[in-house]
Amino acid sequence: MTNSNYEGPIVQIQNVTKEFRRAQFVIPVLSGINLTLNRGDFMALMGPSGSGKTTLLNLVAGLDKPTTGSVEVCGTNLGLASEGTLSRWRSQHIGFIFQLYNLIPVLTAYENIELPLTLTKLNRRQRDEHVKAALEVVGLTDRMNHYPRQLSGGQEQRVSIARAIVTDPTLIVADEPTGDLDAKSGSEILELMRRLNEEFQKTIIMVTHDPNAAARSKRILHLEKGILVGDTSRPVLSGATT
Amino acid sequence: MKTLQYIWRNVMRNKLRSSLTVLSVGFSLALMTILHGYTAMQDQWGIEASKHHRIVVMSTMGFSGDVPIANVDRVRGMEGVIAAVPYAWYGGVYKDQQMAFAQFATDPKAVFDVWPEYKIEADQLKAFQDDRQACVADHRLAERMKWKIGERIPLQGTFYTFNLDLRLVGTFEAPQNTDSLWFNWFYLDEGLLGKSSEMAGNAGTIFAKTNEGLEEATVCKAIDERFSSSENPTRTQTESAFAQMFADMVGNIQLFILVIGLAVVFSLTLVAATTMAMSMRERTTEVAVLKAIGFSKLRVLWMVLGESCWIALLGGLLGIGIGSLCLEGLHSISSQLFPFSIVDMAGPWMFVLLAVAAGIGLVSGIVPAIRAAQLSVIDGLRRVI
Repeated sequence: MTNSNYEGPIVQIQNVTKEFRRAQFVIPVLSGINLTLNRGDFMALMGPSGSGKTTLLNLVAGLDKPTTGSVEVCGTNLGLASEGTLSRWRSQHIGFIFQLYNLIPVLTAYENIELPLTLTKLNRRQRDEHVKAALEVVGLTDRMNHYPRQLSGGQEQRVSIARAIVTDPTLIVADEPTGDLDAKSGSEILELMRRLNEEFQKTIIMVTHDPNAAARSKRILHLEKGILVGDTSRPVLSGATT
Repeated sequence: MKTLQYIWRNVMRNKLRSSLTVLSVGFSLALMTILHGYTAMQDQWGIEASKHHRIVVMSTMGFSGDVPIANVDRVRGMEGVIAAVPYAWYGGVYKDQQMAFAQFATDPKAVFDVWPEYKIEADQLKAFQDDRQACVADHRLAERMKWKIGERIPLQGTFYTFNLDLRLVGTFEAPQNTDSLWFNWFYLDEGLLGKSSEMAGNAGTIFAKTNEGLEEATVCKAIDERFSSSENPTRTQTESAFAQMFADMVGNIQLFILVIGLAVVFSLTLVAATTMAMSMRERTTEVAVLKAIGFSKLRVLWMVLGESCWIALLGGLLGIGIGSLCLEGLHSISSQLFPFSIVDMAGPWMFVLLAVAAGIGLVSGIVPAIRAAQLSVIDGLRRVI
């Protein structure tokens, strides 16, 4: 279903609407969304609460399906895929970074990062190589045997990033990755994401409320009441702080 | 890291809760182990008896009726009977212990022909046959009572009016613990005659060994026909049917106990299910994350069921351990109700109880597992994002 040699846009969204039904009420969340994201993009998705940012992110990540329109990621029409197919697809193509890190508390940093690899056919040695490489990228090699409760918020988020990149996904989706961090840790995380984008050519979509965080991206999208109201490509302010 | 390792970490996540669940499952299965052991032991007598081609002749009036001693010789003379002995339950008190062990009055000359699978030294058998006051005992009973050869064993009659003064001359080996002592029927009978007791001359029951080539039922029928028109008609049955008759006497109680045991297991399964449900509810976000990063429904289902089965199997092992210790303890206290050691009982039924434990794990985990598998990733993540 997924073309591994696909060279078109990473994300292509056409005429997407999304509605939620609550009893007899229909709540429109997104309407008339058209969006293209190319390989190597680093896009920030901004907007007030309830504007549909996370819903759009969920559609792109294959966690939800549009009511109308099509969402294609790496040439795969996610609206047509079954739930099982989407599970496999996510394990191969998407890396998730959450606001509250969502690490598994009973697993060490190493094991948390290894978790997505347990779904692959890699053997123990290959998994070890991947995990150690990811740990090195996020600079936490010395903390790999620590449990999440033994790490600071910033370190936990770096483990979460390592978990997101360990399978070498096509797209990284981040929902408020600095929302629970202090300014210094937040800045470190944003710098790490910038490195992932620039040094490792990772395509990233980041939902954020924070203009300083958005300033680290290459492109900023504004959503209001489910409608795309702004799309700004901008030079990266690598020195900006949160 | 393997998935099993992750499941084990989840089991150990909340040690207090897991321990309490393991204990609750363990104690319910310990109860089941004891009940199962008890019923299995009762059944075992019948199974064992059916191998040895023995029949039991008793009065049609039951244990309260007479079986004249003269009938023993008549039974011996019948076609298909190899050996026959009187076998009267004495039921005496030993050193103020009522029902301390089983005591039977029998014929020393033929009793080991009726029970050829019981082994005794030739000199001890001779001593048993030569001395009216001699007795022999199951070697496990002798060990339990710390009797030595030559030991005097006084028994005070309860419904027999004659007290016995026995001397232990030997011990026999039986395939399973009989917890029995045998003494000479004629010693008892002489004593009863001396007291002009009406109970004299009564064989109690007759145990006979039959020829393997003949149908036991045919021999039983022939014996009953032989005595049908006498003053003391008989009811003859195979030893296994006789054992079943005893089991049937307490059959309803067994069923009642078993139903209570199952009810306890069922209610503790619900407790385990509640625990699993609580545990999974606390981990809703975690499950959503697993599903987001690509864990399939089936994998999540398997992981949750694996966790509940781990806990239940730990409980099962604990239950079997505690139950076995209890059975062993009960065996040492009352070998009559619990005639076999746990070593004799260890076998397939333990696997049955482990299967029951696995069943508890599956039943208690199935609802939380299905709910986890069907959890919407978005709903699960919404709790924290």
